[in-house]
Parts: sequence; structure tokens; C-alpha cells
Amino acid sequence: MSFFESLRDKAVTTISLLIERKDSDGVSPDELFCRQHRLPLGEKVLNQSAVEVGYLADSTKAAYRTNSYPQGKVYLTPHFLVFQDIYDGRSCLFVLHLSAIKKVERLPASSYGFALGIHTHSHINVKLYLVGLRSESELFSSQLMGALQSNKPQAKNMAFFVQTCYSEYLLAKNHVPSAETVNQVPASGLGLTFGYPGNLRELRDRSKMKLWFDLFRADGRNLSLIKTPTFAKLVRVGLPNRLRGEIWELNCGSMYMRIDHKDEYEKLLTDNENKHSIAVEEISKDLYRSLPEYAAYQDPEGIERLRRVLVAYSWKNPDIGYCQAMNIVTAALLIYMSEEQAFWCLNTLCDRIIPGYYSKTMYGTLLDQRVFESLVEQTMPVLWNHITKHDIQLSVISLPWFLCLYLTSMPLIFAFRILDVFFMEGPTTLFRVALAILKINGEELIKTTDDGTFIQILKKYFTSLDQRSEPSSTNPKNAQRTKFMDLFLVAFREFSVITDEMVEKHRTKHRNTVFGNISQFVKRTELRNLPRIANLSNDDVSSIYDRFYSIVRQQITVSGGSSFMEFELFTIFMSQICDFIDPEPTDDNTFQKQERFLKRLFEHWCSEDSSKLSLKDLVIGLNKLIEPDLLTSISNFFALYCENGKVDREGILTISEDLLFITLPWEMGKLHDALTATAIENAIADKICEQQEAVGVSNQDPIPIPSNIDIDKEKIESMQIERYLSAASTFIQRAFEYAQPHEEDVLISDLPVDHKLSHNAALNPRLPVFLNLPTFRMVILADETYELLFSSTIRGSIHIDTPTDGFDPMRNLRDMFDGLLADGREVAKKVRRRMDSAAHPGQLSSDNSSLKSRKSSKSHIEDDDDRDDDFSAIDIDESEKDFLFAAEVQALADPVSSKTDDSRHLRQFHDIRTDTQHSSKKANDNLIDFD
Amino acid sequence: MSFAPSTTSVKLVLLGEAAVGKSSLVLRFVSNDFQENKEPTIGAAFLTQKCTVGDRTIKYEIWDTAGQERFASLAPMYYRNAQAALVVYDITKPASFIKARHWVKELHEQASKDITIALVGNKYDLVADDNDSDDSLRKVSMEEGKALAEEEGLLFFETSAKSSHNVNEVFVAIGSKIPEAKPVTEELGSRPGNVGRIDLSGPALRSNLSDCAC
Ligand SMILES: Nc1nc2c(ncn2[C@@H]2O[C@H](COP(=O)(O)OP(=O)(O)OP(=O)(O)O)[C@@H](O)[C@H]2O)c(=O)[nH]1
Ligand SMILES: [Mg+2]
Repeated sequence: MSFFESLRDKAVTTISLLIERKDSDGVSPDELFCRQHRLPLGEKVLNQSAVEVGYLADSTKAAYRTNSYPQGKVYLTPHFLVFQDIYDGRSCLFVLHLSAIKKVERLPASSYGFALGIHTHSHINVKLYLVGLRSESELFSSQLMGALQSNKPQAKNMAFFVQTCYSEYLLAKNHVPSAETVNQVPASGLGLTFGYPGNLRELRDRSKMKLWFDLFRADGRNLSLIKTPTFAKLVRVGLPNRLRGEIWELNCGSMYMRIDHKDEYEKLLTDNENKHSIAVEEISKDLYRSLPEYAAYQDPEGIERLRRVLVAYSWKNPDIGYCQAMNIVTAALLIYMSEEQAFWCLNTLCDRIIPGYYSKTMYGTLLDQRVFESLVEQTMPVLWNHITKHDIQLSVISLPWFLCLYLTSMPLIFAFRILDVFFMEGPTTLFRVALAILKINGEELIKTTDDGTFIQILKKYFTSLDQRSEPSSTNPKNAQRTKFMDLFLVAFREFSVITDEMVEKHRTKHRNTVFGNISQFVKRTELRNLPRIANLSNDDVSSIYDRFYSIVRQQITVSGGSSFMEFELFTIFMSQICDFIDPEPTDDNTFQKQERFLKRLFEHWCSEDSSKLSLKDLVIGLNKLIEPDLLTSISNFFALYCENGKVDREGILTISEDLLFITLPWEMGKLHDALTATAIENAIADKICEQQEAVGVSNQDPIPIPSNIDIDKEKIESMQIERYLSAASTFIQRAFEYAQPHEEDVLISDLPVDHKLSHNAALNPRLPVFLNLPTFRMVILADETYELLFSSTIRGSIHIDTPTDGFDPMRNLRDMFDGLLADGREVAKKVRRRMDSAAHPGQLSSDNSSLKSRKSSKSHIEDDDDRDDDFSAIDIDESEKDFLFAAEVQALADPVSSKTDDSRHLRQFHDIRTDTQHSSKKANDNLIDFD
Repeated sequence: MSFAPSTTSVKLVLLGEAAVGKSSLVLRFVSNDFQENKEPTIGAAFLTQKCTVGDRTIKYEIWDTAGQERFASLAPMYYRNAQAALVVYDITKPASFIKARHWVKELHEQASKDITIALVGNKYDLVADDNDSDDSLRKVSMEEGKALAEEEGLLFFETSAKSSHNVNEVFVAIGSKIPEAKPVTEELGSRPGNVGRIDLSGPALRSNLSDCAC
């Protein structure tokens, strides 16, 4: 199901985003510089110098335009020369693309000492008077020469690029002497053929055009434009239709992408021609639903342009692909821009200006809605209180404003005016306008108590933007003012206090909450789609999810994202939750055994591809591993080894080795199993009893648990070690004893009573033998320690709820012991029982026998240790009864006390492959007589 | 102090995969109209419609949400405090039914406890004539829908926004399951300018009311 897959991807991207975000908190100065001047990311400041700047256009007869030479700093990057005056660029700023520089010359030394004359393609002569040590100025100048030299190949694009700029065409058409030759109207937006929205006369398009014409001649254009306050003013009064596209791309910086990635757009389209994707499908569904009221979008020409730009972007950035609302934004761009311009502008928009708005989780949208709410709270507290009091969902209402850049909320001509400013000033524009909308309608809004009326008021307001705000005013200027002008004024004057820094600050504040909510949503969705799981609680599955992604994501940053777990990561996962898996085994032998066992689990758990584990696979696998039902647990384990229901000689040896590996922590006494735990409790209880009797406390009093008590732990531990060694040897011995010859289909119940005979036959390496499930079960159940292993020990050693960070898998003995005392209840119970039985000697204490006669092992330390045979609690197959009976008999013969030799044995079993005969012979001595 | 007829405001949210006909159902209910090429919803659309159920009037405040997958993470904003939900699927699109199941679970886990949910299989007109033949356009049987509805305790309808089959019935059925809200007199006085309004309960207030109603 693609939905769930994509949600899984979402989870991964959300998490990786969180990580990336963390890193980006420390944005490098170079990156900040690029963002500030809209340069392509990756530009680095090579050198900088204090300067005074003078400039003169060939076409203007006047002397250098300003008497005062702007002072500031000039920065050199590999592809740009950037000047910013000391007023943060407010009175003079330029970004010269090196490709637009025709000539640089050293000017004759004046009082300034060092000056460079720069001639740009738009025939502007810029003088840079470098201030500073001469040697430094020399260095700057030589680095500039170097950069120009390296940029030469790219500078070749310039001739072609000039032909794509309407500004150049405008000058050429009007016979400006210094203009380039541009004979053809540059590729442009749909407006050229289908008309532009709005009334040209009302928009004063011609006069605006004239102003820009003058500006281009005096201050240059496109890649070598010198921005003065006039530039910003002209943008704010609204761009003329034909220049709108070019100024947009210049202001947002996508123009630099377009010149430096010539042909990439076409190439994306041809490379991916006829290819299908979900995004491509979604795009075609929405083509006729994008600004349908504009004529071009009922025409194949417009529809195809829209399709191509959206499709090209979906291939360029598959992480985003296509999001509804992009169709509307792109449709709007294409009215004023050529396909290639719109494509790069869309790129810049999605990736840099409003990152995350259209991503798979739309985290940017959600985050900015949160930011908007807190800005409302900060700037209009009364309205905000009203909104929260009546639970009006402001962010729901404002979301489409931001997502569609007001294009669907207000008449297009007004939305474009906002876009003019937006491309120049960035996302603060969206906030300023949104705040102004609320402010202007505040008086009415504060009367509403529900979302419906709130929305109604705003809808009405948007449709009335062209109306006069004070038609009856005696002041003719005021009488002319439209509601839109008011909105503009409030937004960019009153709310100019909303700055990039402020927005960024609020984003930082809310980022974690918003990301947290998204992750939770994604997690909920993914967990909900897992199959039903018997042995794992919701919390368990939730922990597995967290751990899965916390481990997988470490890989994402390196290899670019996957929601599957490969074997190495699986090992890490298991080592975090499993007592018997060591994250870094020190000796090779253990390492190999561990790897082999884990590989077996891994391959059995993988459902699709045997090299990758999905979250679902993992959950299903773990569910099996911690199966509480004894018989199911044994058969789950057997299933890991069997083929066609059988395990052959080789398999038997593997099982016994793996069992030895799994039980290593208990074999070495690092962990206690239930039997040992009980023994320790008993020992403590005995000790306390002794002490109590010594002081003569009555058995009615509460039992005080001493904080420290001295028992012979070592003895109990060595008993456990012995038990495990014995279990291992007994296992292999019985496995071969009851393994069946291959050919005969002997029913187990018909096994010859003379097992000495069959046993010997089985041991003959030339005679093929196999173990089936019933036999395997019998062999396991015949040994108390191994039975316990499957009923509780393994399960108890897997800690799914371990916190995801920082975890020590080996809880040492000391902790365990302290834990018992700290809890104390169990010990208290035992002491009470002892004291009771002392008071009533007729009642036999079963404490000692509990070590020997535990049959079913569902029980843990916390269970009553006076247990009966509780076979009834286990669902027993009729046919298994015989074997269980046999096992019971077996269990009654005390395996611990019958043990003779120990550690030597263990070592032998580690090398069991080479020494089967020998060890089995040895174990022979321990055979139990069934008669 | 009973007003006749009383008006109850009900916040209702529509959820379901893209293009199953959520906006079309709303359009049919609100304007008794149908459009062949309906624009996709971006974010959410808000509409209201009154509807008479028995002796009272219900004013539906309808949040029609976007179906495109990536808008799903916005959904919690829309169903917050909703008293009713339509989970819509397209009976000719099995995938949309799977997604409906998902939405039902999401609502049960995350939305208000006493939310009334109707499961709606839309585009009934496409299968109305064929008699369960194998090549029928129908891909989700009525039984499957009913089973899910029973399992999760939902109302269930098969509808057509195009032919208007069962559309009003869904909203009436929801209305009759919504507990009646009592008008609160003190609130009236505390809010000048609100005197003429019948609907005075914001969603937050309403949820309080429904608590004390049961
Ligand atoms: N035959 C038929 N078509 C329908 C019916 N309801 C909706 N449609 C069509 O299905 C398409 C999608 O309808 P919408 O109402 O936009 O679907 P939606 O669920 O709102 O979609 P999103 O807003 O993208 O989530 C439109 O082309 C409708 O004309 C119906 O009952 N019968
Ligand atoms: Mg819709």
C-alpha cells in the first residue's frame, strides 16, 4: 500500500529532518551570507574589503550619480562580487555576477591609493575605492582576477542569457545606444498571449514600465543591477506585467540558478520523458484545477507548460514530488515567467524561501502556522485572547493564505502585488500581510464566537479589497484609497516590526513541538497498520518503533534514507535489548557464534528481501521470541532450524551450540535465572529467620527486611553454573538418543525402550538421523533448566522497554541482589511462611523442593513458590502428554545434584563438532532410567 | 426555559482519500448541486448548513478537508473538537476503503470521545444498475462496509453525490444521534451583542454541555 509506505518514508524524513535541524542551528557565516543575498548555496566569501563606491552609466550624461560615495563592504565569492553599504544595504546594494563583468582595470592612484574600475555588461562603470592596507587591497584585486579567470567558461552563457531577459529587450527595442542586440521578444509568461489579469490602465502599467526603463539605464539590470531605494520603491508600487517575471527571479535569486544551470530544465524533461510516478499522476489530476478562471488554463498551451514545470520539479526533487497548492503557485508564476524561469523560481521557493511548506509532512506549513499564532498573540493580545477563549481555529483559517501565497484567498491582481514584495523580502511578507488582515478586521472579528462567522468576515473582506476605504472623505487622496492600499500600508509599515530574526526565533521556539506532533502522527499511523500482536503491549510496540528509527536514522544521514534495517543495524538493535547479545564481543569465538545466531534470526524474520528487515518484520519476530507459552516458544525456536519439519545431525549440533551461546550469561553466572533467584530469596529468608528467632520476635509482627545480609551467593551461583553445563550436555546426549533414523518413520511413542541400543545407533555418524518437533520438545522439557529457558529465562532477558539512550545490557549480580532486598516483598513472604511453618510443624515447607520440582515455568520470582503442578494452565496437545509425563519423571530426578564434572564439560561442548563422540560418551553416565 | 425549535451547532469534519467525493457530498448537501470537475480542496474548506431533525434545527459547521496524502498530518487540526465525522470512501476504489479504516481508527484514538462517526461509501450511482456481475465497477461490497461500521460502532450509508442518493439521510442520521445542547442563559447576559444569536455555544462550551448531558 503506497500510502503506508509513504508514511514510513515520512517517519524517516521527519526524524532525519530533526537531526538536520539540529545541525543547522549553527549555520555557517557563508551560508548566512548566501541566504542574505540570495546567492546559490555553496558560495564562499573569498575576501572582503572596506570600500567606497562610485558608479556611472554610459547612457546617463550626468556625472557619478551620487555626490556622496556610498561606503560599505565589498565581498568576493567564486562567482559574485557583492557590495553592501554601511546601512545594511538599504541605500545601496549590488550583487554582480562575475559573468556580467566585462572588464576590470586598476585606476590611476588618487588620494585613495587603490581603486578598481569595473565595467559591466549593462554598461555601468563601477569604481571601487578599496580602503585598507595596500597589500590587502592588492590581494583582493588579484583574487578578483583569479575568480574572473576561473569563471570564464561560465561567462560564455552570458550572450545567450541576455537574450532571455525582457529588460535587455526593452532597452534594445527603444534604441538605447549601449543596449545589447536583442531582436526577439524573450520567452515569457502566458500573459503575453493570453493577457494579464487586471486592467492595464488601472494598474498604470505603462508609467511603471517607463520608470523601470529609466532605472535599467541608470543602475543596470539583471545580473549587474545596482539596487538603490528607488528599486525597492518600484517593486512596492507593483511590477509592470512584462517585467514581473524577471524581477521576481532576480529578487529571489533563482536567476543565478538559471544562468548557472543552463539546459538542466530541458534535460530533466527529456531524461524522464514517459516515466511514471505517483507525483506525475497527481499532477495530471490537478492540471485543470489550477487557476481555472485564467484563460490559458483551459488551453492546451497553458496546461502543457504547467504540466512540464511541475513534472520537471517532481523529478528534480523527488522528496517533495508534488503537493497540491504547488499547482496554483506554479500556474501563477507561469503567467509572468517562461517555463525555465518558473521552474527555477519554483525550486528556489520550495527549497529556500519556504522550505517544508510542500514537503511530505508539510512541517514548514505547520510550523509557520504555529509561528503566526504566536505573533498574533504578541502583537494583538486582545484579539488573541478572544480567539482562544472561543476556540476559533485561526491556524486552520490562515493555512491556505500561506500555502497558496494568498493566490486563492484574494483577487489575483492583489495577490501578485503581495508576491512582488514577497520575492524581494521573503517569508516575513506572508506574516506581515496575515497580521494586517486580522488587525484591519479586528473590530469585527472580536465580535464573532465561531469559526464560521470568522471566516465569513474575512471572505467578505477579501472580495472587497478593490473598494474605496473612505469614499466620502473630503481629502481627495483619502477618498481614492482602496482597502488593498490600506492593507499594504498596515502590513509593511505597521508590521515592519516583524523581522526575519523574529520569525526565526519563533520557529526555533516551536520547532520541537511541531516536529514532535508530526512524528507522533506518523508513528500512530504506522503502528496502527502493524498486524495484531499477542505478546507485545502497545507500549512495547511503541518502544520498538522508537528504537527501530533511532537506529535506522543513524544510517540515513550517511546513505540517504531507508526505512529498512540491515543486518548490522539489527545486531545493534538486538544488543540493546537482549542480555545475551553483546554489542562488541571481545573474543572471536563468541563473536562468530553471536553473528551466526543473529543471522539466523534475521533471515527468518525478513519477509520480503532477505537482506532488509522492516519494522513489521521486526515486531512479528520479537513477538515470537518472547512467546510466553512454553510449547509455542519451543516450537518457534525449533522453526528457526528445521527444514521440512526436521533437523538433521548437523542441525542438532548447531542448535546445541546456539543454546550454549544464548545461555552464556547464565553459564558464567552473570545473570540469574528464576531458579537461582528463588534460591537466593530462600537463603536470605533462612538467614532472616535465624536472626528473628535469635531475638525472639513473634510471627505476628511485620517482618523487617535488613538492608544488608550475608548469604553464600557464590555457592548458589555455582549451582546455577553447574545446572547450565549439565543442561547443555544432557541436551546433546538426549537429542541424539531420541533422534530418529532417517528412513524409518518411527512414531515416538514406539521408541524402543532399550534406548541404549537406539542411542548407539543414533550416535553413529554414518547413520543419518533427524530430530522432529515432538522429539525436540521432549528433549527440552526433560531438562528443568532448558525448560525454564524457553518458558521464562529468554523472555526475561529481552527488555523491549529499555530506554532508547544509554543502556547497560549486563545488569550485574550486585544490582540483582540489591533489587531483591529493596523490593523485599518476596523475601518477606518467605520469611512469614517459614515462621508459620515453624509455628505449625505439621505443614511441610516446600521451599527446598521448589528448586527441584518446578514444572511449569510460566512463573517468575514473583509467583508463589508453593506452586502446584500447573500443567493445566498450559494448553497441551493430547499427543504431547506422554512426553510431558516422561519429562516430569525426568525433572524429579534432581539434575543439579547428579552433576559430576563441570567446566571441563563446558569447554568440550564449545568444541562439540570435533568431539561429539567423546562428550556424548561422557554424558552417558548420567542417563536416567525411565523404568 | 425551552426554546422551540432549539438550534444545535454541530462541528462536522469530512475525512477520506483524495477524490472520493467529500467536497461533492458537501456541495450536494449545502447547495443541492453537483460539479463534474470539482477543484481539489487545499487545506480545508468551511461551510455551514442548517438541517431539521425531528423538532430541532441543527446547524452544521462543516470542515471539508483535503484528501491528498501529505495533508493527512494536518487532519488533527480539523477534527479537534469535532462532534461528528463523515469518513468517506469510494465504493469503486478498494484503496480508499483501507484509508477509511485508517481514519476511523485515528478518530477513535484521537478525536473527542463521544464523536459520532458515519462511514460513507460514495459514488453509488456508478454501481446502482449492475447486479453484482463480476465486472461490476463496485470493488467494496456493502457487507464489507457494514461489517466495518458494526465493528467500530459507526453509522453506515452508501451515497451518491451525483444522484443525491442518501446524502440528506446521512446528515439527518448524524443529527439525530447528537445529544441536544441546552441553551445557557447566563452566557447570554455576559456577552452583549450576542443577544439575537441562537447559536451561542462555541465548540469548547458545547463539549462541556455534552458532558453534563449524560
Ligand atoms: N460518479 C460520481 N462521481 C462523483 C461523485 N462524487 C464526486 N464525484 C466526482 O469525483 C471527483 C472528486 O470529487 P471531489 O468532491 O472533489 O472529491 P474530494 O474527496 O473532495 O477530493 P479532495 O478535495 O482532493 O480530497 C470529481 O470529479 C467529482 O465530480 C458521485 O457520487 N458519483
Ligand atoms: Mg475536496
